[in-house]
Amino acid sequence: MINFYSFKNKSYLVSLTLIILTIIIIFFKGLNLGIDFKGGLNFEVKSNLTTNQLNEYFNFIESDREVLIKREVGSDVFSIRIESGDNNPVFIEEIKNIIDQNPDIEILLSEYIEPTFSEELIKNSIYALASSLLVIAVYVWIRFDWQFAASGIFALLHDVFVAIGFMSLFNIEFNLTMIAALLLIAGYSINDTIVLFDRLRSLTSNEENKDNFETNVNNSIKLNLRRTILTSFTTILALLCLVFLAPVNLTEMPIVFIFGVLIGTFSSLFLVLGIVGDLNYEAVLKARDS
Amino acid sequence: MIILKQWRLWVSLLLLIVSYIFIKPNFESQTSDSKINFGLDIQGGFSYLLELNEEEYLNNLLVKTSQYIENTYSISSDIDNGEIVISKNQNLDALTNIVIQNLGLEINEKSDKENSYIFSKQSFNKSLSDMTLNAVEIVRSRVDFLGNKELSIQKVGLNKILLEIPGDLDNNVKEVISKTAKLTLHLEKNNIVGSKTFINEETGEQVRVQEIPNITGDFIQDASLQYNQNEPVVAFSFNKEGSDLFAKMTSENVGSRFAIVLDGSLITAPVIRESITGGSGQISGGFTNETANNLAIILKSGSLPTQIKIIQEKQIGPTLGQEGVEKGVIASIIALIAITLFMIIYYKISGFFTVITIISCLSLLFAMMSLLNTTLTLPGVIGIVLTIGMCVDANVLIFERIRENFKHNIEDPKNHGFNSAYVTILDSNLTTLFAAIFLFAFGFGPIRGFSISLIIGIISSLIVTYIILKLFINITSIKYLGLQR
Repeated sequence: MINFYSFKNKSYLVSLTLIILTIIIIFFKGLNLGIDFKGGLNFEVKSNLTTNQLNEYFNFIESDREVLIKREVGSDVFSIRIESGDNNPVFIEEIKNIIDQNPDIEILLSEYIEPTFSEELIKNSIYALASSLLVIAVYVWIRFDWQFAASGIFALLHDVFVAIGFMSLFNIEFNLTMIAALLLIAGYSINDTIVLFDRLRSLTSNEENKDNFETNVNNSIKLNLRRTILTSFTTILALLCLVFLAPVNLTEMPIVFIFGVLIGTFSSLFLVLGIVGDLNYEAVLKARDS
Repeated sequence: MIILKQWRLWVSLLLLIVSYIFIKPNFESQTSDSKINFGLDIQGGFSYLLELNEEEYLNNLLVKTSQYIENTYSISSDIDNGEIVISKNQNLDALTNIVIQNLGLEINEKSDKENSYIFSKQSFNKSLSDMTLNAVEIVRSRVDFLGNKELSIQKVGLNKILLEIPGDLDNNVKEVISKTAKLTLHLEKNNIVGSKTFINEETGEQVRVQEIPNITGDFIQDASLQYNQNEPVVAFSFNKEGSDLFAKMTSENVGSRFAIVLDGSLITAPVIRESITGGSGQISGGFTNETANNLAIILKSGSLPTQIKIIQEKQIGPTLGQEGVEKGVIASIIALIAITLFMIIYYKISGFFTVITIISCLSLLFAMMSLLNTTLTLPGVIGIVLTIGMCVDANVLIFERIRENFKHNIEDPKNHGFNSAYVTILDSNLTTLFAAIFLFAFGFGPIRGFSISLIIGIISSLIVTYIILKLFINITSIKYLGLQR
């Protein structure tokens, strides 16, 4: 049988490396903020032109607005992002009128967001993220001991943070939908973690074998291993269908989530219970005995 | 028949019937309040997020309050940087704490001036929010007059309005919603003091008139597009009070000019030839049919309390939405088939129960969404896919527990296994549920769409696992569950 608990120091090292890598990637590459968080204009267009041809075509936009054109993977759809400037409501109409006259380009979606509002959206998203994380922490704390809450929240933040690094590495646009994806990862991560916590708690409260913490940790993982693998497998199966079939502007979300599922599976198998042990949970159990 | 004694059987049937009743209206053509709506990202359309100017509203409110204090209590005050400063050396007895409180004011602790008041945050927010509700009605009537029937309009936050129009857009909407439409009539005045010059931006015509308007557009009762010698004009009529004011103004000033000003720019400045007592008038001056009609619409819907700014605009073409739905539906069905095949191969009979559980979970989910008149968006579809995942996870947890109990010869493996697994499921699902509720409360746009289907999905999943899955486990002998190995 695999002794998961004995891997914990190596797992910490892996996790630390991932965190450091994420920091480095974000530091050097930054986040590819979408217009939700940066403000500006966005067009999704269908066209049989090449990226270069489109770049040339959009040259008519004055140089004070930056234009970014990107082809959506495996399709004839392009995303065109234009920096925000004076009087966006009028500007977007002008651009729409110009594109409408070109038979080679069909507008699928056009939008703009004022930078003032995107600042509000950033604040708003941070509140939403922070409050739901807080709720998770409080719930786990009430239902389990604080060591569990601390470890669960660490794993969750770890998974979400590394997923952000993944997005930065592959230049995936960071927008409101991605906030939802990050929360999905958080939800998945805590879900996985709690299943293990529940097992560990019931094993440690069992009179016969409660003393050997390491065995209990390993048993918790072992007994849930099949479930962890099955669930990750079915979830990834469903997500793969979404990757290949979702509308072009939504394919990135399931990709990020698949990464999240993998990293979440890693952290629940190798990290969380180790942390609970290192937070001296054994002492708590012993104190409860005497 | 042991199965008839299962209370779960009767509850399951009840759930099935109730779900059927609530889902049914979605397939009927007539409109109903309990239907699932499709978000703009699915059916295509336009959305505008409008923001009213908070600062401008604060200033208006300060002026109004200061004037009210002056008129009612004869106490004069100045407005300075967002605060009302009551001038010294007056009798302030009338300004009791209760009066101040009723005006929504409180002493400005941070100010170094004496007798300086600001609006309390609570009362200002309330007032701001009421103003926005009022503006919602004005915007609604403007868009209604253009003939858009299926629009959805709602207040967002304190001073924002979200306007969503499915389908094709009338190009005039943007023009009509963003105009404040403050119409004012000013008499000509050549004196520098208290006068102001308004300019017509197109013709360059300018006229010096008295700054405070003689009549405002608030008195306008109706306005319409009409033709004067084949020229489109905007005809308007005042209500009783406005007619009287207009009659008085025109009869006393025959021979002089007056300016018609819209949102700070001059439209026209006709000469008063005779007194006008009918209470109606015409605005002419280079209109097209469209511009005249737009002006008539905004005049009769009333002016907005402050300037409006479109802070977010989104136009989703029908192709993208359709493609999204088609692909999304195909993706979900394939995912569903893949998962069910896998579960049946892996768990045999029990896997088949999972399929029934998933289908019941989805129908309960759609029933609740219809009942709550929820708007389904693409992120919402992803939330549903996640729900299916959680439902499958619950099944796997239960089956694994039962299998484990069976292996260790624990007494009553089915019940014991189900119950201990269900505790875990509750713990993990409730954490996600609470997180989703907070997400819904604080989130915006796609985040809300995602969290609402997640909330409803988790609840349905918890219900169907507890009732329907357990029913099937109960009535099947453990030998046939396909879990022993």
